[in-house]
Amino acid sequence: MRDITKVRNIGISAHIDSGKTTLTERILFYTQRIHTIHEVRGKDGVGAKMDSMELERERGITICSAATYCDWKDHAVNIIDTPGHVDFTIEVERALRVLDGAVLILCSVGGVQSQSITVNRQMTRYRVPRVAFINKCDRTGANPERVIKQLRDKLALNAVPIQVPMGLEGEMQGLIDLVRMKAVYFDGENGDKLREEEIPAQYKEECDIKREEMLDAVSMFSDELMEAVLEGTPTEEMIMDAIRKGTLALEFTPVMMGTAYKNKGVQLLLDAVIDYLPCPTDVENFALDLDHEEAEVKVSNISSDPLLALAFKLEDGRYGQLTYVRTYQGTLKKGDSIVNVRTGKKAKVGRLVRMHSDDMEEIDEAGAGDIVALFGIDCASGDTFTSGSDYNFSMTSMHVPAPVISLSITPIDNKAQDNMSKALNRFTKEDPTFKTYVDAETLETIISGMGELHLDVYVERMKREYKAEVTVGAPQVAYRETITQRAEFNYTHKKQTGGSGQFGRVAGFLEPLEEGEYEFVDKIVGGSVPREYIPSCDKGFQKCMDKGALVGAHVTGVRCTITDGASHAVDSSDIAFQLAAQGGFKEAYMKAKPMIMEPIMKVAAEGPSEFQGSIMGSLNQRRGIIIGTNEEEAYTVIEAEVPLSEMFGYSTDLRSLTQGKAEFTMEFATYRQVPKSVAEELITKAQKKDKK
Amino acid sequence: MLKQDLIEKNPIRHLKGESDAKESSRMGLVMARAGVGKTALLVQIALDSLLNDKQVVHVSVGQSLDKTKLWYDDMFKDIAGGCKLDNAAEIHDGIMRNRMIITFNESKFSLAKLEERLHDLVQQNVIKPSCMVVDGFDFIDADRAVLEGMRDLAKTMDMQIWFSAVSTDGVDIPASGVPAPCSGMEDLFNTIVLLKPVSQSECIDLNIIKGSASVSKCGKLLKLDTKTFMIREDCK
Repeated sequence: MRDITKVRNIGISAHIDSGKTTLTERILFYTQRIHTIHEVRGKDGVGAKMDSMELERERGITICSAATYCDWKDHAVNIIDTPGHVDFTIEVERALRVLDGAVLILCSVGGVQSQSITVNRQMTRYRVPRVAFINKCDRTGANPERVIKQLRDKLALNAVPIQVPMGLEGEMQGLIDLVRMKAVYFDGENGDKLREEEIPAQYKEECDIKREEMLDAVSMFSDELMEAVLEGTPTEEMIMDAIRKGTLALEFTPVMMGTAYKNKGVQLLLDAVIDYLPCPTDVENFALDLDHEEAEVKVSNISSDPLLALAFKLEDGRYGQLTYVRTYQGTLKKGDSIVNVRTGKKAKVGRLVRMHSDDMEEIDEAGAGDIVALFGIDCASGDTFTSGSDYNFSMTSMHVPAPVISLSITPIDNKAQDNMSKALNRFTKEDPTFKTYVDAETLETIISGMGELHLDVYVERMKREYKAEVTVGAPQVAYRETITQRAEFNYTHKKQTGGSGQFGRVAGFLEPLEEGEYEFVDKIVGGSVPREYIPSCDKGFQKCMDKGALVGAHVTGVRCTITDGASHAVDSSDIAFQLAAQGGFKEAYMKAKPMIMEPIMKVAAEGPSEFQGSIMGSLNQRRGIIIGTNEEEAYTVIEAEVPLSEMFGYSTDLRSLTQGKAEFTMEFATYRQVPKSVAEELITKAQKKDKK
Repeated sequence: MLKQDLIEKNPIRHLKGESDAKESSRMGLVMARAGVGKTALLVQIALDSLLNDKQVVHVSVGQSLDKTKLWYDDMFKDIAGGCKLDNAAEIHDGIMRNRMIITFNESKFSLAKLEERLHDLVQQNVIKPSCMVVDGFDFIDADRAVLEGMRDLAKTMDMQIWFSAVSTDGVDIPASGVPAPCSGMEDLFNTIVLLKPVSQSECIDLNIIKGSASVSKCGKLLKLDTKTFMIREDCK
């Protein structure tokens, strides 16, 4: 079993166009994962993102899709994909769960951009320690100082440089390491030969000042270092130890710089990943105890404890489905049987592999904190595996929110049709919040998910990864109906026109159900409805739940109770009682004062404070309830609850209101009653549609 | 129970001294050791205004929006559940509309910013508060001028402002009765309440250190329940 302290599970997070692809390329090159450097085509940066996709294909490896592995100085580094989009979905949560630390890449010209802010906030929420890397120091207008200031102001990070660049823009020669006080040059065609020298005289003074500042900031985390600094004898180890401590506590962010494109600084960044970012046992992870209402329990990280592992990514390989798992606790052994907590199914670990620089290594076991891949395990991503069914813990919440928005998609030709179904099959496995079905009335394929952007991402992926071109319909909000009071029914279904007749009578009542969607209660005494027809009544009621009488939306929160009924010796049948139950439901439904519920989104809009008023106004207009604001330096974050139906096209509106300086994220919050005026509108619309 | 009954049953309005002359309750202060129930009392003060269909601004320093919102949701649920309030969901909706939370990161609180924000809100017609509660204000490093500014703000915006302050443990109460760190500032506040847990009892004492006659009188009767941090009258 490999030494877990020598494993780093990290993510690389970057704003578009700050050089994530190039940097990842260089990392893979220096760690000998790949043997030649291919430039991202289009040096002006145009279309860089597409280029990276092409590159990935040519290489046959995935640079930014699942997890990439490399070895650096006796340590194993797993680079895990951090989602490029910031929409808060299960996917983001899952990625952040798997990584222990992150590298935040920033462009030395662009600095901290809005997406960096959002990603940074999520990382803070999940307590992910990070180091910052200011890339593109060779670009005209490079200004690392300004970027560091932004890191402090906009991201509220205690960012302190631990390097000084020797020259900027075109003149960049190398870097000075402030910990060791050495100048580092990157020689050779690909910058792979490191040369260390004394600091050139013209940088001496600047470095002394910067080192002083760094020691000041870092000595906060180590008394030993503080004493040594006072005595003037700090050692390299002490400083590195203190930086590590501060980084792990999320109170310090070491800032490095360089230019991946010109092959400068990447090796030092890798060193920093090893030196300052946590190994799996350094961070606390929490599992959810399913026997105690998903209470959080700290994961022990001990390999001899019961197994807890999370499947975080699936990949279709040559040999079938490859499942990437991270173990949090316990040991994953070849030949063991493991239990998928979500489905309760047992599976046997057949092949267990660790991905290496250029091949897979078959292994027999993997200890806590490791990332390995399994073959031939049927599961969805986000599933938790444990060692036995009595160990009922999950790494991710088992509660999957119901989709709130849906779109119809139509493939443009037959080929696209095939590819589309492949893609949909895959996506639904990967993401439990993404669902798909065929509408029984219109025969269209409907996809549904947690937000407009969520679905956009999948439509885009279908196009790119599966070459399935589809035309997309207008988004539909998933309304729901529910009842607000108890209502009785007593319905007789009778049909005697030719053939065998149908007869069934049911009586009972509907009432609101506080929790849950549907409940069926059988209170029949004396056999007025024969035993065998009770399930028929249940079935009949459930059919009615699919389509409410108000706007045809799914009905939830109803308890159906039957108390009495009647049957006929010959004419009663399964179908007769189903129809009787349906009739009863319809009879009582309108009396039970039904209402329409709509999905409410929690919206967080952030922008410069001067636009605060207009952002609030725009949310107000959209029937939003403003919960509050959070002041962060020159930025204001406004949180509000807004009906999803009002949020279509909000990003365009927000941009034009704020000169493109504000952006927003949203996630599903709850279902709430639709106001009367809106409800009436919806009802008339639904009636019109029915008449057609 | 109807909303009106709930309002009348809630003794907190006595504390706010609204029956007194208008000028008398511009600024209030709730003091206690950490964890005794300052925020709970502030939220109750805010809820009382909200139930009266008045608008409230809740300023929270160092606490997140979600956490602050949760306080309201939980307290309202307790109150509504405890007295079987009719139309609870509807009333809760109304409360949300009339409440605005402004959070500041620790050490980022500034009076100028708050003032600007409030004026913005009034101008944009988003909210016009008649009560503001300030939770987590740092009294230890506070400048007297800031509090004086707040007092002026209360006057110009025509609202009550309630603060919470952590009283330093183990320090003797000075003669004026106001424990550190707020001693010497008592003249700025119209009402000062000190929360104290009563040993071996389910209650927390509401000690009125400063306040008008009627406020002091009712203060004797008020107790907080340690479990729910709710004001209860039945506790002897």
